[in-house]
Amino acid sequence: MLNDTLRYRDLLVALVATELKVKYRGSALGLLWSLLNPLALILIYSVAFQYIIRIQIEHFTVFLIAGLLPWGFFASSATASTVSLMVNAGLLKKVHFPREILPAATVLFNLIQTMLALAVFLPSLFVLRGSVPWTLVFYPVVLAIQAVFVTGVALGLSALTVAFRDLRHLTEVGLTLLFWLTPIVYHISMVPAGMQAAFRLNPMTSFVSVYQDIAYWGRPPSAGDFLVLIGWAVSALLVGWTIFRRRAPYLAEDL
Amino acid sequence: MTPAIEVRNLWKRFVLRHNRAETLKSRIMGVFDSRLRERRETFWALQDVTLSVQQGETLGLIGPNGSGKSTLLRLIARTHYPTRGSVTVRGRVSPMLEIGIGFHQELTGQENIYLNGSLLGLSRREVERLYPAIVEFSELEDFIDVPVKNYSSGMHARLGFSIAAHLDPDVLLIDEALSVGDEGFQRKCQERMQQFRARGVTIMFVSHNLRTVASLCDRVCLLVHGKVEALGPVDAVVSRYQELTAAMTSGAERMLGPELSPRSGDVL
Ligand SMILES: Nc1ncnc2c1ncn2[C@@H]1O[C@H](COP(=O)(O)OP(=O)(O)O)[C@@H](O)[C@H]1O
Ligand SMILES: [Mg+2]
Repeated sequence: MLNDTLRYRDLLVALVATELKVKYRGSALGLLWSLLNPLALILIYSVAFQYIIRIQIEHFTVFLIAGLLPWGFFASSATASTVSLMVNAGLLKKVHFPREILPAATVLFNLIQTMLALAVFLPSLFVLRGSVPWTLVFYPVVLAIQAVFVTGVALGLSALTVAFRDLRHLTEVGLTLLFWLTPIVYHISMVPAGMQAAFRLNPMTSFVSVYQDIAYWGRPPSAGDFLVLIGWAVSALLVGWTIFRRRAPYLAEDL
Repeated sequence: MTPAIEVRNLWKRFVLRHNRAETLKSRIMGVFDSRLRERRETFWALQDVTLSVQQGETLGLIGPNGSGKSTLLRLIARTHYPTRGSVTVRGRVSPMLEIGIGFHQELTGQENIYLNGSLLGLSRREVERLYPAIVEFSELEDFIDVPVKNYSSGMHARLGFSIAAHLDPDVLLIDEALSVGDEGFQRKCQERMQQFRARGVTIMFVSHNLRTVASLCDRVCLLVHGKVEALGPVDAVVSRYQELTAAMTSGAERMLGPELSPRSGDVL
């Protein structure tokens, strides 16, 4: 297993490079284009919520960025994973290699894009706010736990979409719904008390709340917070892996 | 001598899905309307195939369309999995399943060479070393920076064979991959295969060109309806195939007998 992983490390790198080439072929700015989408969203939501809806959150842009970038990592990975096996049908049909490398490469590619966005937007965030919370040291840990969670989701979705092709569109619709059900442009305390328990069933609520704690409020996450995040990550990975393993042997003949 | 490829009591069943329910929507509609329901039928593409290929041996695989030749190579290449039975392969496999190998259509020829190298388990450094020889053999120098989607099928085959042929394989699987190349390239490939034979590479080779089969192979296996109909010396098996083809074209399909019908008929 470990031997296999080492042997296919170069393949993982090659597949991530492939996604990069296919997506940004012929554009001089290349990967920088990936900053355009979050930038546009940050501008739109900032204007809409600060000046039109007049939401009562101080330094709203800072608050928004804290939740929006991790959401983007989740949403773009989930969307891309639905087609990650299908666009690579040509490879799956012709060569034997560990199939899980394909969704893993999709997640890794999106993680790299997210880290680039973080590298650009997090510093600008503190210009707006005037200070850097020390709790930012937890950021890499939380991002790593989220990456495990996202990998589980990507494994499950990629395999299921081969059997149910419309899952791709359902995922897009589902993500739009889930975005508004996740406290990214508002705070969880603004949700009516009776509905808060239901909101907490959404794993992205837990992740986004912790990101807001460490990047906006400057509050260190509690041990309980970490347990919840790790719980979500491990469950998603177990479920996703189980679905993927069952379908993996038949991918070449089903595609 | 140890066999390089061992196939033991291999069965492969495909599920033929009529009116295939590919979406959740159609799956749900099928609950309410039986006309929309998916009908599944099983189909045995391979039935109890047993054979072994010795190290350094070249085995030809012949048979009519749909007899299971490609399926057998896919199972040996491990892109498909057996329903029953087992496949054991010793050494590094270089698969050339039908036209081209695993190409990513959006990538250039050069990028595909690197991607394929790592797909087959080579390090980047190893591919870098082999790269010039691969390009030279393919004679695609002028097109190596062009996306593969703009290649003709002959160019696909050229690049595919060049990659497969340079990865220093222990086992080479070739499925009708050469038939689309032009005369000159086909000759070059055959020379290359002769070199491989001399070097002790094990080769499994599917072709409809019986002359090529006769000139390259040590033994031949004839597959009919997923079963091994004959396996042995080239001349004997090839003439058995020709008899069979003649019988079939003269309309005497009864010769094969109904028991050879591959459809098990059981509906899932
Ligand atoms: N993925 C698949 N799903 C269903 N049936 C398949 C699939 N692949 C091959 N078959 C069937 O298996 C049989 C053998 O096919 P194949 O191995 O390609 O034959 P050959 O290469 O000898 O022409 C054919 O009848 C084909 O329709
Ligand atoms: Mg075939």
